[in-house]
Amino acid sequence: MRLKTKVLVVVTLIFGLLITGCTSATGGENSSDKIELKFLHKWPQPQYAPYFEDVVKEFEKQNPNIKINMEAIADEPMKDKLRVVLGGNDVPDIMFSWSGEFAKKFVRAGAALDLTSYLNEDTAWKNSFIPASLQPFSSDGKNYGIPLRFNGKFFVYNKDIFDKYQLKEPKNFDEFLQVLETLKQGGETPIILGNQGPWAAIHYLTGLNQKMVPNDVRLKDYNPRTGEFTDPGYIKAMEMLRDLNKEGYFMENVNASSHDMALQLFFAGKGAIFYVELEEFPDIEKNLKGNWDFFAMPPIKEGKGNQNFITGAPDGFIVSSKTEHPKEAIAFLKFLTSKENAVKLAEQLGWPSPIDGATNPDTALKQVVEGVDMMKEAEGMVEWLDTDVHAKVAGVYLTNIQLLLDGTKSPEEIMKEVQDVAKQVQMD
Amino acid sequence: MTKTNQNARTAILFILPALLLILSFVFLPIVLNLFYSLYRWNAFEAGRVFVGLEYYIRLFKDPIFYTALKNNFLFAVISLMFQVGGGLIIAAILEDKLIRKFQPFFRTVIFMPSVVSIVVVGLLWQLIYNPEIGLVNGALHAIGQSDWAHSWLGDSKTAIYAVVAVSQWQYTGYMTMLFLIAMQKIPAEYYEAAMMDGASRIKTFFSITVPQIKEMILVGTVVTVIGAFKVFDEVYIMTFGGPGRSTEVLGTMLYRAAFRNDEMGYASTIGTMIFLITLTLSLIQLKLGKSGQEV
Repeated sequence: MRLKTKVLVVVTLIFGLLITGCTSATGGENSSDKIELKFLHKWPQPQYAPYFEDVVKEFEKQNPNIKINMEAIADEPMKDKLRVVLGGNDVPDIMFSWSGEFAKKFVRAGAALDLTSYLNEDTAWKNSFIPASLQPFSSDGKNYGIPLRFNGKFFVYNKDIFDKYQLKEPKNFDEFLQVLETLKQGGETPIILGNQGPWAAIHYLTGLNQKMVPNDVRLKDYNPRTGEFTDPGYIKAMEMLRDLNKEGYFMENVNASSHDMALQLFFAGKGAIFYVELEEFPDIEKNLKGNWDFFAMPPIKEGKGNQNFITGAPDGFIVSSKTEHPKEAIAFLKFLTSKENAVKLAEQLGWPSPIDGATNPDTALKQVVEGVDMMKEAEGMVEWLDTDVHAKVAGVYLTNIQLLLDGTKSPEEIMKEVQDVAKQVQMD
Repeated sequence: MTKTNQNARTAILFILPALLLILSFVFLPIVLNLFYSLYRWNAFEAGRVFVGLEYYIRLFKDPIFYTALKNNFLFAVISLMFQVGGGLIIAAILEDKLIRKFQPFFRTVIFMPSVVSIVVVGLLWQLIYNPEIGLVNGALHAIGQSDWAHSWLGDSKTAIYAVVAVSQWQYTGYMTMLFLIAMQKIPAEYYEAAMMDGASRIKTFFSITVPQIKEMILVGTVVTVIGAFKVFDEVYIMTFGGPGRSTEVLGTMLYRAAFRNDEMGYASTIGTMIFLITLTLSLIQLKLGKSGQEV
């Protein structure tokens, strides 16, 4: 008997300890009447974080009853963090997400709050966005995300090198290839590419797929429920990418260099052209000081897709469907995307804002403004291939793109794998 | 109630907290993992679908599983050669009379890599292997062997060896240290007696040193082999399984399934396989260890 009671006491004590250990985190919340919002974003870098700190501080000053608990996690870990955090009980109220399929899978799982009614309630807010920036965050006509940035992908080139060979910005893909050939003949490295993180080459394929495959076919294939990937355009797109490397237009050992290392090579004038995102423009200006310009991926004559699309996508925030304070969360997002803060985003960070007019010659770099204008004028945007298709299809593309470039696998082999996985995804 | 009985009870009571913790944090997760591997589910979606052994069947048909197994096996074999074999030889050399007075210096130098964080090591070696600015190719150019210069991590044929090599660089010193400690416990008289009998250094190494530190060698082998099948960070940081999936190991394969492809069930299946493999290896090692004690 005595032993039993002793054991009982010890067991109770231990479990008590475990339970208090597990719950102490939530205990503190109710102690004040303040509403607490958890805000998760992906810019912990010292050059970006202060912007968010300032916005949060200002918002708390204007709304004394709301407290924002901010957390920042870098790009790559964010992909894991979101998946884990959404399964737990401590889901952030507002969290970063890429647009397209990446956000849609959270929508399908019922983890993202439907924001349509909030946007329709406040048409001034809704209309302040460039329409193309809201669209990638929508699913079945409903809005699930609020864009913070509006990012596009462009070829930037070193003017010195272009001038040396009297080259002009190519108007179509054939001209593009001629430019590359001239550069190669001159002994230059035509294109800098750091494909250690395979998303870099995937961004090429994003544009090539879009330009080679008819739009309706591509949209059907990118949908996890109906994806087949049987259009010959996909193979053509891969062949074009492979040939850029085969012809020696990319720098050597593309798979062994990271994007950041490649960027340094470009700054040092070691190559003529580099495919970068709009958000990188300020960095390029800092290093090349006006000695650069840019052009979008040129149209492809034999391509079956719309040739007036631009590669790029917004990224921004989704609201958890589990949030207890949707109104306050929306209020914060409205504040974050107010014209004032959007202008600050453009000025302070040099990022392209999805708020119409916020990125203008007074607030941002000339080239960034031109880039945003090109995106506004384009007939459509195509989102990053690795976030726009189902994660498993993206996985096959990502892991094989390096092998495509080093010649280990042929486009046909890779597309066969893509088709198989697409079938598997359909059945899931 | 007898005294011994009471002692036993007290002992049980003292063990209980630790036992409960191990049960709830080690054994329960293992059982749960087995259970989860039978379902299709992901971390952010409520509800799961029972799929039975589907994932196990898929695993055995998955060519990447065999790539991963092969790579883990490579890790184990090469690590045994360099960390256990090489470590043993280095330790014996450092213990030699001629070199012993410099031992603290070499010991520190050799041990140093193993105290550096793996993230730092991974990034450092990424630079060393860089084909354009890296030390390895730089050295090859310098000695006039430019033909050997290579994109070490960027080529799917060499990448896994490049990653394994970093592991050897980092941990051989650790093993050397363990062997040194064991060797210093061997009474000097043995060696003196052997010398008088005219035994060569190599002979004394095999006849005295090795048998005397057999236990430590066994421990080192167990740690190295199990470590090789649990390896994750080195690969994750340097190649993340690439180029293609040529450097995938079981650990990164599990990670990819869980956090990239949203297939927690498949990840659990891989987890179960890693558990079974390491369990089998440990049992074999344990068995060998026991026979060692009896002799």
